[in-house]
Order: sequence, then C-alpha cells, then structure tokens
Amino acid sequence: MDNVKTGNAHPQNVIAVRDLRVLDGKKTLVGPVTFELPAGSTTGLCGPSGAGKSTVLRALVDLLPHGLRRDGEVDVQGRTICCGKGDASLRSTVVLVPQTPVVFGGSIMDNALFGLRHLVRASRTEMRDRMEKALRESGLWNEVRDRLDTPAQSLSNGQRQRLCLARALALEPAALLLDEPTSALDERSRDTVEESVAALRGNRTVLLVSHDPGQVERLCDRTVRLELPETASLVPA
Amino acid sequence: MSLTLERPAKAPGTTATRPPEKGGRPGRARWVWGWAYSGVLSVALALVVLVGYLADGIASGTVDWGALLTDSVWSPGNLAFGGLAMIYGSAVVCVLALVLAVPVGWAAAIALSEYLPPRLAKPLRLSIELLAAVPSIVYGLIGIMVIRPFVAGLGDVPGGDSILAAGIVLAVMIMPTIVAVSVDALAAVPGRYREAAYSLGLTRREVVRSAVLPQARSGMRAGVLLGLARALGEAIAVFMVIGRADGRLPESFGDFFSSLVRPGQTLTTKLAGPEPMLAGTSGPYFAALCGLGIILLALVAAATVWGTRGTSARVRRGPRVRRTSAWMRGPKDRLTTAVRYGALLLPTALLLGMLGILLARGGAALNPAFWFTPSAGAADGGIRDQIVGTLLLLATTALIALPLGYGAGIVIGTRASAKTSRILETLTVAVGGTPTILLGLAGYVLLCTTMGWGRSWLAGAVVLVPVVVPVVALTTAGRVRGMPGELTESALALGLTRSQYIRSVVIPYTWPATLTGLLLGLARAAGETAPLIFTATVFFGAPALPTGIVNAPVQALPTHIFTLSQDSGAPEAIAQAWGSALVLVLITAGLLTLAVFLRNRFEGARRWTT
Repeated sequence: MDNVKTGNAHPQNVIAVRDLRVLDGKKTLVGPVTFELPAGSTTGLCGPSGAGKSTVLRALVDLLPHGLRRDGEVDVQGRTICCGKGDASLRSTVVLVPQTPVVFGGSIMDNALFGLRHLVRASRTEMRDRMEKALRESGLWNEVRDRLDTPAQSLSNGQRQRLCLARALALEPAALLLDEPTSALDERSRDTVEESVAALRGNRTVLLVSHDPGQVERLCDRTVRLELPETASLVPA
Repeated sequence: MSLTLERPAKAPGTTATRPPEKGGRPGRARWVWGWAYSGVLSVALALVVLVGYLADGIASGTVDWGALLTDSVWSPGNLAFGGLAMIYGSAVVCVLALVLAVPVGWAAAIALSEYLPPRLAKPLRLSIELLAAVPSIVYGLIGIMVIRPFVAGLGDVPGGDSILAAGIVLAVMIMPTIVAVSVDALAAVPGRYREAAYSLGLTRREVVRSAVLPQARSGMRAGVLLGLARALGEAIAVFMVIGRADGRLPESFGDFFSSLVRPGQTLTTKLAGPEPMLAGTSGPYFAALCGLGIILLALVAAATVWGTRGTSARVRRGPRVRRTSAWMRGPKDRLTTAVRYGALLLPTALLLGMLGILLARGGAALNPAFWFTPSAGAADGGIRDQIVGTLLLLATTALIALPLGYGAGIVIGTRASAKTSRILETLTVAVGGTPTILLGLAGYVLLCTTMGWGRSWLAGAVVLVPVVVPVVALTTAGRVRGMPGELTESALALGLTRSQYIRSVVIPYTWPATLTGLLLGLARAAGETAPLIFTATVFFGAPALPTGIVNAPVQALPTHIFTLSQDSGAPEAIAQAWGSALVLVLITAGLLTLAVFLRNRFEGARRWTT
C-alpha cells in the first residue's frame, strides 16, 4: 500500500493486517488472519466462539494479556506498527471499546473527556465543544445534555456503552474497534447502541466484533471471518 | 454476598410435622450457640475490662485534665502531671514516620502492582508482607544498633537517642504495612479499568493516575491509617531509641528542628517505663497515668476503626477530577516510571539489609547448640529456656484464643444482621488495634496484683489472647461471608436447624481460614514484648517450664532481646540479642509460611497480613 494522502474520493485502507497471529510461546492461539479496513467502512469480524475475535482487537492495539505476543504485519495509516512497545499514541489513533462498558468515577462529562483531557491542550469551551460533538455522534447527547455533571454511574447499561463510544469518538480516532458492544446489554439497550453504530457508517472506520450474524448483516459493509487456528482444530484439547 | 440468617417466625402447630424416628433425632447442636456467643462475649469483655481498668484508675484519684492536656511538666514528686510533652512526642514521632514512609510506600506499591512483571512482583510482594510481620522488638534492635549511630553521626547527639531516631524506626516498621495494604488495594482494581484507559491512548502514568488510583485510593489511605495506628501504639521499638526525657517541648519554631535530634518521650514509652509499677494502684499519680492511657487508646482506636472502615466503604461521591495536562507526556511518563522503580528499591533494600544484618550479627543462632542449651550467666550459653517459654505462651494463647475467635467470627459472619455485624466487627477491629502496652498494664493490675498471681506464665498467655482473637475472628468472618449462597440454601432446604447448619456446613468450610487466622495472630503475638514485661517474664532464673500458676514466671524471646539490648555495652549480650532476634524471626516466618501454605491449599490466594 502506497503512502498516499487520505482523500475522500477513493477508499484508503486505514488498517491493513497481513497474517496476524497471536502466540503463546510457540503455540498459535489465534489466526492467521488477513484483512483491511478501508476508510469509512464498517467491517464485521465474526467467527466461532473461541476463535479469538477479541484477542485480534487487542493484538491490533498492543493490549495483549501478559505472556502473549503478536506475529505478522499490521499497518496503520500506511505505517507499519511494531509490536511489544506500549505505544500510547497508537492507541489514541486506533481506539478499542471493550465489551463491558467501564465507567470511571466522576461525572458524565469527566467520563466523556476521560481520554481527551490527557491528549489535547485546549480551552474549556473547545473541550466542551468536542465533548458535545462526540456525545451527539454516539446518540447520547439528548439524553444527558442537562445532567452532564451528575455521576456517570447513574446511567443505564446501554447509555454507559454509548458513553464509552463517545469517549472514544472524542479522540477523533482513525479507526474504532468495537468488541461485541451489545453482548452485555438487554434487547432495548442493544437497539439504541446499534442505532449509534449504524449512524457512524460512512463517517468513521469501524471494526465490529460480533457473534450475531444478524447484527453483522444490519450494520456492516463487509465481513471478515476468523477461523479456529489449525493447531486448535488438530489437537484435541 | 452474605446470607443473613434471621430467626424464623415460630408458627405453633406447624413445626415438627415429621414423626420422631427410631433412635430420635440427632443432636440439635445447641452447644454451638453457647460457644459462638462466648466468643463474642470475650471480645466485648476485653474492651470492657480495658476501658474499665483505665476508668477505674482515673476515678481513683482526681485527674486534672486541663493540666494533662496543656501542661508539659511531669513531676510526680510535686504532684504535677502534665502530658503535653508526651502527646507532642507521640504526634511528632508519628508524623515523622508517616512523612518518611508514606510517599515511598505508596510509590513502591504502585511500582510493585502496576509496573513490575508478575514473575518478579509475586515473590517480592510475599517478602514485603513477611517484613510487615517482623516483630517490633527486632525493629527496635535495628534502631539501637543501626539508626541510633546514624543519628548520632548526623548532629551533636550523644548516643543518638532522639525523636528523629524514633521516627525513622517507626517509618521502617510501618512501611511494609503500607506497601502490603496498598498493593492489595491496587490489585483489587479490576483489569478492565486499566484496559479501558489504555485503549484511549493514555500513557502508563496517566492510566495509573486517572483510572487506577481513584479506585484504590480509599484502600491505600486505609493502609496509612493502619500504619499510623501501629506507630501510635508501638511502645517497645520507640522505647529503645527515644531517650525518654520528660517535659521536652521546643521553645520556638527554630528550636523545633534542633529538638528533633534531642531525646523525648511519647505516651507509650511513658507507660512502658517503670512508672506504672511505682505509681501503685490508686491516687493521683496512677490516675494521671490512666488518663494518658485513655488518650492513647482513643487515638489508636480512632485510627484503626477509621482505617478499616475505609476499605469497606464505597466511594459515594465521584472523586474530584484532578487537573491534567497534555504537556510533555512522554518525558513525564518516563520520569514517573523512574521515580516509582526508585521507590521500590527502598523496601527491597530494607528486606535485604534486614536479612543481611540478622544473618551477619545473629550468626550464633545458626548453631544448633544455641537452640538447645540453657543460658548461663547474664549472656552466655544458648536460649533454650527462652524458646520453650515463648512456645509455651503461644500454645496456651492458641488454646484459649482459637475457640473464642472462631465463635466470634461465626457470629459476625452468619448470625448477626448487617448492622449488628458491623458493630461487632468494629468492636473486634478496635480490640485488635489496642496498644499492647495497655493490655500488659491491665493484665498486671488485674491478674498479677488483684488476683495475686504475681508474675505468671498464664497471665502472659491471657494477656496475649486479645491480640490473637480479633485476627482469628476477622479471618473466619471473611471466609463465612465468602461462602457460596447455594451451600447455605441447600443445607437449610434439607431441614437443618441453624446450629446444625453451623456444625456441619460452616465449620467444615471455614476451618482452614480459621487456622490461617490463628497462625497469623500467633505470629503477631510471638513478637509482643510490651504485655509480657510486667506480667509473665523474668530475664533470668526461671525454670524452663513453670510448675504452677502463681508466681511462676517464664523466660521469653522478645523480653530477652529487650533486656539484653538495654545493656548495649557488653558485646556478648549484643551478640546474643541478635541471635535471639534471628530465632524469633525464624519462628514468626515459620508460622507465616504455614499460614500461607494452608491458605493456598484450601482457599486460593487471598490477602493474609493485617
């Protein structure tokens, strides 16, 4: 992939992954898998449980559990990312939203600005503007606009997940990695979160992990299938 | 999740629908309640006796509280009892200890939990927890031999006896406690908080500061308060290095700093000195001493209870968001990493240094003859009798404390409603935090004088019981609360009465935890010096095993070290003190290792100090 300036006219791969594998010592736990995320696309990552869908996301942002390592090539915006270094700037470019919503202590506003406060030096009004933009984008703004100072713990589960989404969107990431964003939610909250994800379509580059084929059908432009690694299928446990 | 067992409403006529079978119903195990409640009673009794003893003492003569709190002249001959200098001494010593120990302890805990790879962190964490259980007499000995000369070299301090030396000794003593409790608090923060923060592109410093510390802060603060309680209540280690000079208050602000390198006096060292023996058991002198005791007890109880509350109380208000800055993120991250690793060096150096000193100076203890020959003369021969005496005291204490602590723990865990259980738990925590010097004085007055036992091994064992019972009770209660709810449900669904349920479900489930608690408590009791000096031990001339109860003292390791270290001129006495210290540390470490083994075998990893 050439290092061409990203333009809206033709799709450009934000992330390109070749032969990504996750290893524990010499044993392959996940992969190999190859895929691309064209700019502005919503890509579904699906596969049988245990195939390591969440692990792939963590491998992309260097958050693998202790003892596991990544093998293969990962390009982000045309730059090859090397593995092993805790790279904070990579993680503010490609943002992972974990499966269960994590709400920190403090108000809704504190949470929405949780990452941004550390990354950007900006005036109070500018911060507020970026927060509002992110909350609007995640579809939460209308529900929380008059109680931004109340504790974020008071939100429902679906709202929490959208708050986590807003917190990631506030960083203006090049790509969003959503790890089964609806699996911890009931049906009604699931619909609201799905609406928010659907609204990102076309504007943001999203990789969505889901075990629900219907959801992938509804939300995604393209699909990547992750199979159980050969070692796992050959060696009976 | 705890399941509270309330007494079910009696519906007459509906019970006993089951016809009696041949042979009758098996025992209803009613004895369980008598036993369990006697445990609770013992905890309450310990507190009542202690406060009662002090209150009685205060009532026996008039206490001029105004003078006691604001005057600095202590002169029993002139009936002048001013305690301000001692309160000041206690405060300064504790503040010094906290100022030295808290920043290092917190940073080291963060490095241990957030930075070090698990392979290194796990053994280091265990060793630091071991360090937290080293008897204070050993810290006192290190104070005399290492810190006093160091302070003497700092300024013009003859001998080095000073407030500063006491502060450093306490800092060294409480740092492992602070690290151990803080690491527990940090480890309890779920990994998903870290992951969520990392995935937003934060550096490690920012993750720790914004995502981890807000969750762990209350637990880390509790560690400081427990350390403070330990420092406030510590008598012997301070006694050995502070110089015990009455009535010293700085005259001006400038004088404050030079007063740090002069001798002083604290509440505990006053009570551990000879004066309680001289004051008799009534009159204004005794009353003033009891007044000091009450002040001390109140301070320590406040710190302990507040500290233990801190861990259980949820943070209700959202924590204040601190100002953050996106300026120089990389350099700041690297600097913080360096500082935290640096802070970790201190406890590690402490650990290695302590081990080195003990092995180098106490090498005599590695000779088996030292363990198995009785001492001869003042400081020759071995320490067989002291080891036997310590083991006798521990065994007797264990026999009394195990049933009482077990019973109290079961009541706290199963029977009480949430509110009662909290009150009982607070009481137990308060008993556990009592300055042991006060236990010694109360035991001396009640058992040795009033009941006429004289110096008696049994009095010593009884005085140690309140040290052990709370640890047993709290570990048991924690385990009972951790019981799976289905276990309780299915037992009760089979028609067991509550006492049968306790006998056949709770006890089999909790006994490993109880034994762990007992061993932890005994490890603490093994190093206690202050309660034994007046009640149970003599330095020399007691038979290895006492033949009666009245006037039957023993010799014990901690008091042996204490007496030897007071005689710091004679090199052979010092060598024997170090040897005894090594033996004492080995006994404590043995008890702890057994406790850890039991816990890992039956319970999976859980916290095991404090």
